[in-house]
Amino acid sequence: MLHAHVTTPKLVIAWLSLLFFTFISFGASRLGLGGWEIGIALGISVVKSLIVLFIFMHLVEQRFANRLIVILTFLFIVLAVSLTSTDPLTRRTFPPRPDPAAHPYP
Amino acid sequence: MHASRLAEQFETIEKQEHAARLAMWVFLGSETLLFGALFALYGAYRVMYEGEFVESLHHNDVLLGTTNTVILITSSFTVALAIHFVRASRSGLAALMLGVSTLFGAAFLVVKFTEYAAHVREGVLPAGMYSLAAGQQPPGGAIIGATLYWLMTGLHALHVVAGMILLAVVGIGCARKVYSAERYVAVENAGLYWHLVDLVWIFLWPLFYLTD
Repeated sequence: MLHAHVTTPKLVIAWLSLLFFTFISFGASRLGLGGWEIGIALGISVVKSLIVLFIFMHLVEQRFANRLIVILTFLFIVLAVSLTSTDPLTRRTFPPRPDPAAHPYP
Repeated sequence: MHASRLAEQFETIEKQEHAARLAMWVFLGSETLLFGALFALYGAYRVMYEGEFVESLHHNDVLLGTTNTVILITSSFTVALAIHFVRASRSGLAALMLGVSTLFGAAFLVVKFTEYAAHVREGVLPAGMYSLAAGQQPPGGAIIGATLYWLMTGLHALHVVAGMILLAVVGIGCARKVYSAERYVAVENAGLYWHLVDLVWIFLWPLFYLTD
């Protein structure tokens, strides 16, 4: 059943590349890229999580059933986050958001 | 030995262990969805209160956050090494690696609580407790940002504590030679939980520290 096998060198490479991507992510955030910043940061995070999932969590050597759970979880989160954020982004109502000044904390 | 720990409903030990692993993945999936709901709130409030939301993130210390990222990534690496060693029947080394990983977890919490203490001193607290130095009311979006910060990192810190307990328990099991190459699915599942803690932080770090 085990086609691919996670070996010690692979683990070390995975760890080093995670540190590398952390460095890249940190560096990119200092460039002041404005609107692109969050997209780039999240993109790098997705790459890092794939490394953790496939190498550290051994997903590369497991059955498809386990991978399916990861795929579905990821899709559900993308759906939840994108739909929930699209609502306030595309509102044409007034006011676009609740006014906290109208009901300040006591 | 196999026959004794094979539950009645399974034909083989492989099937039993696949079931245990699959159940862990399902559990981790549901845990991730719990955080997913909070990420959705983060997204919605961030676009709703653009500038104000980001104001609350200025209080976060990028250096401490990045230190914690490195700590958690390295702890994930040592946990992966522990699984590697227990599979090779080197239980002593596996126990050592799990012990080291538990200490990394403790280091993460020390850094996190140092930061929390600074927030408390500055008055950056959730909801209505959030106050600025001059006693002014912070803008509504900043209050929501600070509340989500405390909620998401606090929930993550609770997961770190749970993960440390799991790692310590299987670590002791490895030291006592309960786990070996023939029997290690419990160590593997505890490791999977720890990697999830790392995965969540991989997303919390850019959202709360880098993108302000």
